[in-house]
Amino acid sequence: MTTTDDQRKLPDYLPEHLGAKREPGYGDEVRLRVAPLAFERTSHMLRAAGARFITLFLAETPEPALVAAFAQRGDLVVLRAPTQGADPVVYGSIGAGWPAARWAEQELVELHGARPVGYEEERRLTTPDADELGGNVRGLDVFSIPFGPVRSGIFEAIQFLIETGGEDVPRLQTRPFFKRRGMESRFVGLDPERAVHVAERVAGIASVAYATAFSQAVERAFGVQAPASAERWRAVHAELERVACHLDVIAKQAETTALFVGQARFQILKEDVTRLRAALTGSRFGRGVIVPGGVRYAGRMELDALVAALDRLERDFERDRQLFLGTSSMIDRLIGSGRLSRELVEDHGAVGPLARGSGVSVDARHERPYGDYRRLGLRVVTEREGDAMARVSVRFEEIAESLRIMRQAIDQLKRRNGELCVPLPARCDGSAFGWAEAPQGELLIWVEIRDARVHRLHIASPSLRNWALFDHAFPKDVLTDFAFIEHSFGLTPAGADR
Amino acid sequence: MLEWILRGLRKGRTTTSYPRRALEPPDGYQGPVRLLHAADASPDLAAICPTGAIAVDSGGGLSLDRGRCIHCGACVRAAPERFAFTRQYETAARSREALIQIGQTGEADREESTRRSLGQQARALRRSIHVRHIDTGSDGSEEWEIQSLWNPYYDIQRLGFFLTSSPRHADILIVTGAVTGPMRGPLERTWNVMPAPKALIAAGTEACSGGLTGLTGLTAGGVDGILPVDVYVPGSPPPPIALLDGLLLAVGLLGVQVPR
Repeated sequence: MTTTDDQRKLPDYLPEHLGAKREPGYGDEVRLRVAPLAFERTSHMLRAAGARFITLFLAETPEPALVAAFAQRGDLVVLRAPTQGADPVVYGSIGAGWPAARWAEQELVELHGARPVGYEEERRLTTPDADELGGNVRGLDVFSIPFGPVRSGIFEAIQFLIETGGEDVPRLQTRPFFKRRGMESRFVGLDPERAVHVAERVAGIASVAYATAFSQAVERAFGVQAPASAERWRAVHAELERVACHLDVIAKQAETTALFVGQARFQILKEDVTRLRAALTGSRFGRGVIVPGGVRYAGRMELDALVAALDRLERDFERDRQLFLGTSSMIDRLIGSGRLSRELVEDHGAVGPLARGSGVSVDARHERPYGDYRRLGLRVVTEREGDAMARVSVRFEEIAESLRIMRQAIDQLKRRNGELCVPLPARCDGSAFGWAEAPQGELLIWVEIRDARVHRLHIASPSLRNWALFDHAFPKDVLTDFAFIEHSFGLTPAGADR
Repeated sequence: MLEWILRGLRKGRTTTSYPRRALEPPDGYQGPVRLLHAADASPDLAAICPTGAIAVDSGGGLSLDRGRCIHCGACVRAAPERFAFTRQYETAARSREALIQIGQTGEADREESTRRSLGQQARALRRSIHVRHIDTGSDGSEEWEIQSLWNPYYDIQRLGFFLTSSPRHADILIVTGAVTGPMRGPLERTWNVMPAPKALIAAGTEACSGGLTGLTGLTAGGVDGILPVDVYVPGSPPPPIALLDGLLLAVGLLGVQVPR
């Protein structure tokens, strides 16, 4: 890639005295080089300039370096500090003053022995102990409830340590990582075509998003571009996944208010979508279709039949939505519950429907459009209230929007259903980011390729970033609101724990 | 509220009559993989599978371990003359060995008579089978499929299966995931407080054999390394009908007499 002096200049939204040097990067990626100890200062200047923290990790390509990624003005700003083989890696802490980076930094300390300067030790994160109570609140009749990792109902393993006097929740600790399976290390040594199957199984309910983000990272590293028809199919599969996930959240909200007819209705819709996905791809979770370079096969339905199925779905959905929003026993419980202020959401770098419910318009499909979203006109749905109702409303609107986008993509496919996959070059060394808007929020995957195989991989999952916010979701709420608030987050521990 | 009820009534009946009648998967459904041609295989075939489900013996005989299969289709794409997806939901078996196909096999379809007698067994328990679930490191999709068993399409309450919050009331424990370190203690404790007779179902390929997460060093590589498994339901994830089939098999292990 040739770089002119002009490209080396900092974008004008970045402060002049950033103390960082711009390096050549890919298209919408701004790579900046700093010294490890300058990490703190530079990241805080970025924050002051409006950047949103995404992730922090150790990379090995092209050289060992500490890397932090931020989103700013439609660019991916990447801060890189070569570590020159230092062990442990000593750098200026980002998390000390920026809540968004705290868990990422803690993970780096625990799993890679990094030493951030100026960092305050947090509670243990990656090796949780189900029996450890560690209550902090003192007072008359305050007790600690370890809720999880085995909970009533069919839920993934996660623990919440609730400290309560019975009603108010003065303190809550979210404890993820009960399910850490080491998925990032599972990619190592696999060729991309095989590694995509691992990507699909990091967070099973967002298989399509993970496969897409991984494939796009690989495509950028290899310098290939998926064909337009493949991108259209990817968008169709991704939107079906979003609809399924959002319907799941809505059904669970109905369950928590004991609106069982409503729950049944939305479960029916979700199963309809799941069956449609099985007919379209052979898998109820859309697995096996997306591959680096494109898609393995086109949808296995006639396009007209697919549109007819979407029409039926939309008709049913609209009626149920009207009923849901007209059921006061339902929405009364959601209005005002688990209110998250815009400032809190921004400080924690939250993403997805959760952030959009608090008026923060973050959506990877819109911020840094990828694949077919460069052509599809997407309307980003936001609400201002920041409560459970706002998060549910965002999901309702997004289902309608997803149906609209799918029709657009299918229309284009009707006109021209061309090539579906390009082969990857046999040789490649490189590294790149890939991203996708998963139903839970923005997902970013960093991939390093050596000899055409995955050498290293890092996942910045939306669930982990959003869960850090759950500790703050009970400002004025009582213990009985727990289930409403948890479901309104709509996250998956599998994605957070990896 | 009345409107909800009317809406529900207008929809009519959606529930499957499984196991009385089979439920057909859609065309192109990628169910368990089947061996089409097992003789004279090249030893290289074993390397195709990302989870080591394929083995070739010294005589070139091919075997396929469905307990390890994650339905990725790598083998079907590489050697379509030897491997094919079956259009079938059921995957459950009572032993790990029963999941290993050696040599060529016919369509391993669940016999209609078996399906029906399993249904009768469940009825004999007089609608009182209590199920508890524990996640020990799944990818999250297994939970969705287990949850759907209680949705109106599958509605397994009609067969007498109930979800219970307390393991002390449970007859059947469904375990998902390959058992991570922090989940080992909670898993053992959950199982130990369940009253006998009880049955354990390993749901999903991760729980059956570790699947993709078996070799990361952070899991036990499957539930049977820790507790005795009664029914294996492989799949990535196993669809609701496969789970239901597994539940019916597990009921048979609770020592219930089928009334004549």
